[in-house]
Amino acid sequence: MGEQVRLELQRQLQAQREQYAERLGQELPELAGLAARLEQQAGLASGRQRVQALRERLHRIAGAAGTFGFGHLGNRARALEQRIDRWLDSQKPSGQALAALARSIRQFASQLPEPDSELSQPAATEPDEELSSRCRVFFLESQPDAAQASAQALRNFGYEVCHSADRQALLAAIDRQPPDALVVSVREAEDLAAIAALQQRLETPLPLLVIHDRFDFASQLAAVRAGAQGYFVRPLDVTLLETGLERCLNRPQHDPYRVMIVDDDADLAERYSLVLQNSQMHTRVVSEPAQALDVMQAFNPEVLLLDVNMPGCSGPELAQIIRLRDEWLRVPIIYLSAETDIGRQMAALLKAGDDFITKPISDSQLIASVYSHAQRARSLSTALARDGLTGLLKHADIKEQLALEVHRAARSDKPTSVVMLDLDHFKGINDGHGHAAGDSVIRALANLLRQRLRRIDSLGRYGGEEFVVVLPECPASEAARIIDEIRQRFAELTFSTSAGAVFQVTFSAGISETDGRSSASELLERADRALYRAKHAGRNRVVAGTGG
Amino acid sequence: MSELRRILHIEDDPSIQSVTKLALEAVGGFEVLSCSSGAEALREAPGFAPDFVLLDVMMPGMDGPETLARLRECLDLERIPVAFMTAKVQSSEIEHLRKLGARDVIIKPFDPMRLADQIRSIWNADRY
Repeated sequence: MGEQVRLELQRQLQAQREQYAERLGQELPELAGLAARLEQQAGLASGRQRVQALRERLHRIAGAAGTFGFGHLGNRARALEQRIDRWLDSQKPSGQALAALARSIRQFASQLPEPDSELSQPAATEPDEELSSRCRVFFLESQPDAAQASAQALRNFGYEVCHSADRQALLAAIDRQPPDALVVSVREAEDLAAIAALQQRLETPLPLLVIHDRFDFASQLAAVRAGAQGYFVRPLDVTLLETGLERCLNRPQHDPYRVMIVDDDADLAERYSLVLQNSQMHTRVVSEPAQALDVMQAFNPEVLLLDVNMPGCSGPELAQIIRLRDEWLRVPIIYLSAETDIGRQMAALLKAGDDFITKPISDSQLIASVYSHAQRARSLSTALARDGLTGLLKHADIKEQLALEVHRAARSDKPTSVVMLDLDHFKGINDGHGHAAGDSVIRALANLLRQRLRRIDSLGRYGGEEFVVVLPECPASEAARIIDEIRQRFAELTFSTSAGAVFQVTFSAGISETDGRSSASELLERADRALYRAKHAGRNRVVAGTGG
Repeated sequence: MSELRRILHIEDDPSIQSVTKLALEAVGGFEVLSCSSGAEALREAPGFAPDFVLLDVMMPGMDGPETLARLRECLDLERIPVAFMTAKVQSSEIEHLRKLGARDVIIKPFDPMRLADQIRSIWNADRY
């Protein structure tokens, strides 16, 4: 396409966007009016018909808005449309749930449509981002004592917890507004069956964690069938539950998987690429095997799709070249081939491959295969880069991160704070209650820090019971306030051992602040001296260093 | 195989209709006939003799699947690929549309700059 044509096209597209924006300016108020009426008369028998009319309008916006540069609006319309579907499909659609739904639609339609900004920054870099927004967790537990204790512990970790004492109440609450995650303490076998049925009718199943009395195969199978991503046996270690929640809520959906496709048939490669892009993956196509290594270096793919039969260099040959490099050992390689001979497939796999897809390849098969390998590869590489117990950065990595932040602070002229944090009397816990108890304390502190801090903050486990936190664009006085709030919450946590002992733990912290001159090591030293003063002054406190 | 030149597009939403026509004509270099309903498409299709049919799923009156069934009576759909366009993203729905005889399904919202490529790759997909 010539430059002239492209510019003309851009101009016309822009004109169509403006027309669409005008149209939204009429449609949204209409939608808001319909939703307001439904909200007031949600109990009437005509609710079902009225909601259908809303659904059609939302569906149109969901389908069109993204094409005209209002993707964010389109996504929200789709989410509302799906909520309507859930309401229509639910066993006992309630008027109350419908009124809540109508209210959400009215609120959605009452806002001015904002086009997506092309330069929109990921939320993580917003300097004014407050403490991470709270995740809503629904919690089913029929025993009041257990409910009280676990819900409180999760709240201390910063979750918004809605507790239900029975299944019906839980299902009704989910119909009103689905949570970010579901924790189900199984007391009757029907609990999991009901959750399984619920997950079936949801567009995307809810992340589910199961608490159970038994650790047998059948119970775990039932949990997995209900969509469980974590399984915990009573007596419950809340820190493990919290780690499980972290894991299933932090699935980084904002970061698309990177897939590289090597196929000498450029059209075919382009087709795979389109299919994967439509599933929110990033792709690079290479049709010349000799270029694969350079592209790989630059693109750093998480999955590799290799055609088996290419002129000059076959897929298995290229795979072996790739496997010569240590840093690429972990990248899964999937062969694409017209080969249906199992014997030859095996031979190719033995030469450095991980999987095989046979042509003709259906879109869904391609997506499923690439997705599962990418997911596995990413969780593995995260696991290897992080501290095994806490999931935080390791010693060397947090120092490196600090050095980066110190440089950045010097450029931006905004202070960065460094916190050195140490558990009080930790040796006593290990000696008195065993290492398992000590580990759960460390995990709890790591989880709490992660919950309460911003995404731009870096967290590392510096030593056994010692942590380092780096808070960019945050003066020491503010850092002290934040860390002190975490200190109070941590001191409220109650730990229990399998032997039945109950205990509490505190920590001390020292803080230093960048001054444009000091190096990362000097800042760490200064934070360490402040920490020493905190310990010396009686522990369970936060001290901010005063320069030099 | 014949060449991909003429595309019949059936879509009731005027905004989507015009951006699709623009995308396919200006980017793809195709000749596009836009129809606003299934009934209009049934009248126009034989005279236009499309190489490819692009069909919206949710339309008032005659919906996409019904239009597809009726088009079969006046077009040789063994030879002419049909793709649905839909904002429904469930895989079960997509599977269902394929079973009705659609060659592929294009998900809305789509990128106007890439739509022509998507159609071309569906057109070429027979080779695989």
